[in-house]
Amino acid sequence: MSRSYWRSLEQIEGSPGSREFLEREFPEGASELPEGVSRREMMLLLGASASLAGLAACRRPVERIVPFANPPEEIIPGVPRRYATTMPFGRSAYGLLVESHEGRPTKIEGNALHPSTLGASSLRVQASILDLYDPDRSRKVLHRGESKSWADFVAAWGETAKTHAAGQGEGLAVLSGSFASPTLARLRRSLEDRFPRMRWATWEAVDDENARAGVATGTGRDLETVLRIERAAVILALDADLFLTDPEGIVNARGFAAGRRAGTEGGTMNRLYSVEGAYSLTGAMADHRLRLASRDVAAFVAALAAELMSSGLPVDAPGTAPAGEIDQRWLHAVAQDLMANRERGLIVAGPRQPPAVHAAVLALNVALGNVGQTIAYHERKDAAPSSRSSLADLVTAMKAGTVTTLAILGANPVYDAPADLDFASALGKVANTIALSSHVDETSRLAAWHLPRAHFLEAWGDARAIDGTLAVIQPLILPLYLGRSDIEILSLLASDQEQPGYDLVRQSWKGILGDAAFEDKWGRVLHDGVLPGSELPEVVPTVVGRPLAGLAPSSSSAGDLEIVFEPGATVHDGRFANDGWLQELPDPLTKITWDNPVLLSPATAARVGAKNEDLVRVEIRGRALDLPVWIVPGQADGTVVVTLGYGRTSAGRVGNGVGFDTYRLRTLAAPDFDTGVRLTPTGETYLLGTTQEHGSMEGRPIVREAALEEYRQSPGFAKEAVHAVPPAPLWNERGYETGPQWGMAIDLNTCVGCNACVVACQSENNIPIVGKAQVRKGREMHWLRVDRYFAEDGEDRAADPQVVFQPVPCMHCENAPCEQVCPVAATVHSPEGLNDMVYNRCIGTRYCSNNCPYKVRRFNFFNFTKDTPESMKLLQNPDVTVRSRGVMEKCTYCVQRINSAKIDARLAGREVGDGDIETACQQACPAGAIVFGDVSDPGSRVSKLKADPRNYSMLEELHTRPRTTYLAKVRNPHPDLLGGRA
Amino acid sequence: MAQILPPWSNKIPLLGALAGGLGATLAIAGVWYYGSPKYTDVGYRPIQPVPYSHKLHAGEMGLDCRYCHASVEISPVANVPPTSACMNCHKIVKRDSPLLEPIRESASSGRPMRWIRVHSLPDYAYFRHDVHVAAGIGCVSCHGRIDEMEVVVQTQPLSMSWCLDCHRNPAPHRRPVSEVTNMKWAPPKDRTVLAARLQQEHPVDPPVDCSGCHR
Repeated sequence: MSRSYWRSLEQIEGSPGSREFLEREFPEGASELPEGVSRREMMLLLGASASLAGLAACRRPVERIVPFANPPEEIIPGVPRRYATTMPFGRSAYGLLVESHEGRPTKIEGNALHPSTLGASSLRVQASILDLYDPDRSRKVLHRGESKSWADFVAAWGETAKTHAAGQGEGLAVLSGSFASPTLARLRRSLEDRFPRMRWATWEAVDDENARAGVATGTGRDLETVLRIERAAVILALDADLFLTDPEGIVNARGFAAGRRAGTEGGTMNRLYSVEGAYSLTGAMADHRLRLASRDVAAFVAALAAELMSSGLPVDAPGTAPAGEIDQRWLHAVAQDLMANRERGLIVAGPRQPPAVHAAVLALNVALGNVGQTIAYHERKDAAPSSRSSLADLVTAMKAGTVTTLAILGANPVYDAPADLDFASALGKVANTIALSSHVDETSRLAAWHLPRAHFLEAWGDARAIDGTLAVIQPLILPLYLGRSDIEILSLLASDQEQPGYDLVRQSWKGILGDAAFEDKWGRVLHDGVLPGSELPEVVPTVVGRPLAGLAPSSSSAGDLEIVFEPGATVHDGRFANDGWLQELPDPLTKITWDNPVLLSPATAARVGAKNEDLVRVEIRGRALDLPVWIVPGQADGTVVVTLGYGRTSAGRVGNGVGFDTYRLRTLAAPDFDTGVRLTPTGETYLLGTTQEHGSMEGRPIVREAALEEYRQSPGFAKEAVHAVPPAPLWNERGYETGPQWGMAIDLNTCVGCNACVVACQSENNIPIVGKAQVRKGREMHWLRVDRYFAEDGEDRAADPQVVFQPVPCMHCENAPCEQVCPVAATVHSPEGLNDMVYNRCIGTRYCSNNCPYKVRRFNFFNFTKDTPESMKLLQNPDVTVRSRGVMEKCTYCVQRINSAKIDARLAGREVGDGDIETACQQACPAGAIVFGDVSDPGSRVSKLKADPRNYSMLEELHTRPRTTYLAKVRNPHPDLLGGRA
Repeated sequence: MAQILPPWSNKIPLLGALAGGLGATLAIAGVWYYGSPKYTDVGYRPIQPVPYSHKLHAGEMGLDCRYCHASVEISPVANVPPTSACMNCHKIVKRDSPLLEPIRESASSGRPMRWIRVHSLPDYAYFRHDVHVAAGIGCVSCHGRIDEMEVVVQTQPLSMSWCLDCHRNPAPHRRPVSEVTNMKWAPPKDRTVLAARLQQEHPVDPPVDCSGCHR
């Protein structure tokens, strides 16, 4: 969040000296003296700066204490409070608990009562708090670029509304993002009642429209799909990323982790099969992953249906299943597993797959008895799902000139609408356009009126979770930039009156809770954040028609390349592009930051004649874009993956010009995947910032894994991987006898690699972002990283490796190598086993980092927080020091949380209980893979995990005695697919 | 050959070394003394926007510290009172005093007072009032005889070594929690008996490692 970073990015990207900058270790003058300075002059400079420093220190800064004039009842200075609220995200919603320090929200956690978070969170949830304080957010109403007041807009709308009211709403159109909210739905109805002939379109660039269409085809009804992965013994994911890009990724990861954990606790472990082209987190977690282009998934489903039918399942498989390309052994194993686990299996297709595939999958799930068990369908209410056809119809009407007023609520179609619609020129044909957006984005720039939109932490609202559970969006702070919420604008459009969002929401909820004892019930809902028992009824659908007959095998020839559009792993559809935390967060698989290269498999890259960082021209349907190449082992050959959400031109200082605008290649005809793409190297190169090689561990057994059978036979396999002989100590090693002893266990078996922990750590510990150029030098500041390893069994698997993730925080070694080399004792051990980092002692020699075998220490090469914008300062956690230049820093096990829990326990006259202290990463982890606690208490959860036979220490042979240990990963392969390619 | 340098010049190195040694000693002693918080911070006595007298309020009238600094037992921060706390009395007492004009102005406009911090710790030191009060450390131990101060002045250095003196051996500084705000409390003759009793009733084990205070 420091602006110093943005400045350096401009230096890198904009100036002719960028090469030189990259090749120097430090920028000129940053860490060495200018050339030609003699030793004598240097002594002079040193003396002068020493005396200046001395003089500066003599002045005592005057600090002010500013108490409230009239204190609000509930605020106690110095004591943070937590409020329940909800983050709306399309038709999904995330229930949250937000920490507030003296009225400024600083940290977001999941709300355990909400069905879509269950107390955990995701990287998007964690990073959304940064968007609240984004200094680039729009601050005023603009009319054709001129600053206006809200009253001006209200008056102007009054005039517009009069003309439209006369024509019953003829010529009026509204374009919104998708939502599920009682208040938004109510206000939409009242708007449509006032203007019966108006048009409403809903558009999300990344959506599950295909899945919804598939369910509608298969059942004849419009239903929401809710996965219950925790009940599934066998999961087949078809081109689906269940854990990261899926809006319900938190719950999916939790359910999957539950099924994994069961296997190492004596029960049966679930088995995950993944069929996909692009490498996703689901593919990484899979026990068996089949590389298959997206276009061939339909054929796979047909083949699977035929296989299931031949195993006795009463389905109506299409006769002609072209199963030539598909590994028969693989297919057979999946079918056998699904048949053996009827009612406990789950087949799920990704949003990219066409409706026919979704309908076919639904039919298979119904036939297998999975529906109602591992997958449930709920009624949909108060929702506006995205619809491509509604957008296309709107654009046609706009081009025909029949739309005279268009209000765009929160959507950014100029940036993310399909390229062939040419939304920008259609917008030019509309006389009066109104765009509500948080930033003056691409759409707002072209609109007549721009209205600043409030963040969800600033506005009242409500939202339904995917299963229908109702939750209230409760603001924690007044709008920082005078924004208004969607409901306030919609109400204004419907009534010509400005009404506070609070009143609007309460009005809706009077209908929901009833007038009797409303205030009591309303207070309860605000306190809990959700209304328990408000989920919509579950529906047991019946299959209509012959969904399996609709499967159309791909018509393209095998040699064709296919292009696949993926939402950005961090920035999603581009709405988070100005969020520095997300831009700098490495993509979980490629570990690339700040960019969206085109991803190719090694074979495809060789065929195209490109290597990493080569620019290639991607051509599809007459559209072309130059993109840098990144090679991803394990991606399907022939699949060309491009990532959406980058290349924004009007996102803000962080997001502008980062990456490439791949929406220019995406058309309405083929928004998911398409064949006939051509790649030609341009001969130029483009530098990418990846953390892939940073902290590489040189091929030692850092991650350890085994198949379930091996584990059952030899549970201690992880410990046996290394024969560690403790060396004779050179000095008396420290003992840790008294008091609690903190330690952490990380379960590699359940970690899905989603990176939520990394952003949570960044948010909790005031960690700065450094920018692409610094990332390229390995200077990213993340205290916690998630290492990604490709695992290969012999040569034939080089193109198709498995992936293992390993989160690496500070190990808090009992025998810490960093402490032994610090010349100023700036890193020392606490009696409770913490490896303390004392910023005010550190002189920046970086010896500790050199001597750390785990490479978890981070150095402030620049004063990354010096130019933090005022608004961003509100975001800082007041319990953690903001570090300056020249200081080493690293994971502290969230020592601020440890200390405050200890003091709270002492004040309450009790001992610190197991679970009282949760580190930020642990709290965020949707899979519950991170457990922290007192290792000297044999009854604590962390001690029990450390007693697990899978427990091992990373680099145990170095005798560092780390407090952070890992539980080895166990895969659950199908016995028939063991050994050999599968 | 004639001697260029006179015989006394043989003493130059010796005298030089002595002068250098003296100079270095003085320099170190100077920094030691003048650079320490005992010199730089003790005695800090800023003039506040309103000449509020602790001597009058806390001393002569005997207001308890916690009437104004209400959060001292429940929060890391011992709050400076809101304007409304002043007005509880001053809407009746001394309603027209010109010295209280800023207070009345703040109360009527809602704009907060801007007091000047006297006791300031570095930003990287995290001090909590609540736990110290609960451990029976009297206000007077760190803030001095506030009840005798017309203008609040810093009496203790608040330096790290000063903190650690107590953290390493808290017994002589503890008192019953009921006496924490009592400025005039005098320890009993045999303080070790009291210390032992307090430690038994409410054991404390103050941290002396870095992360106890620095995060």
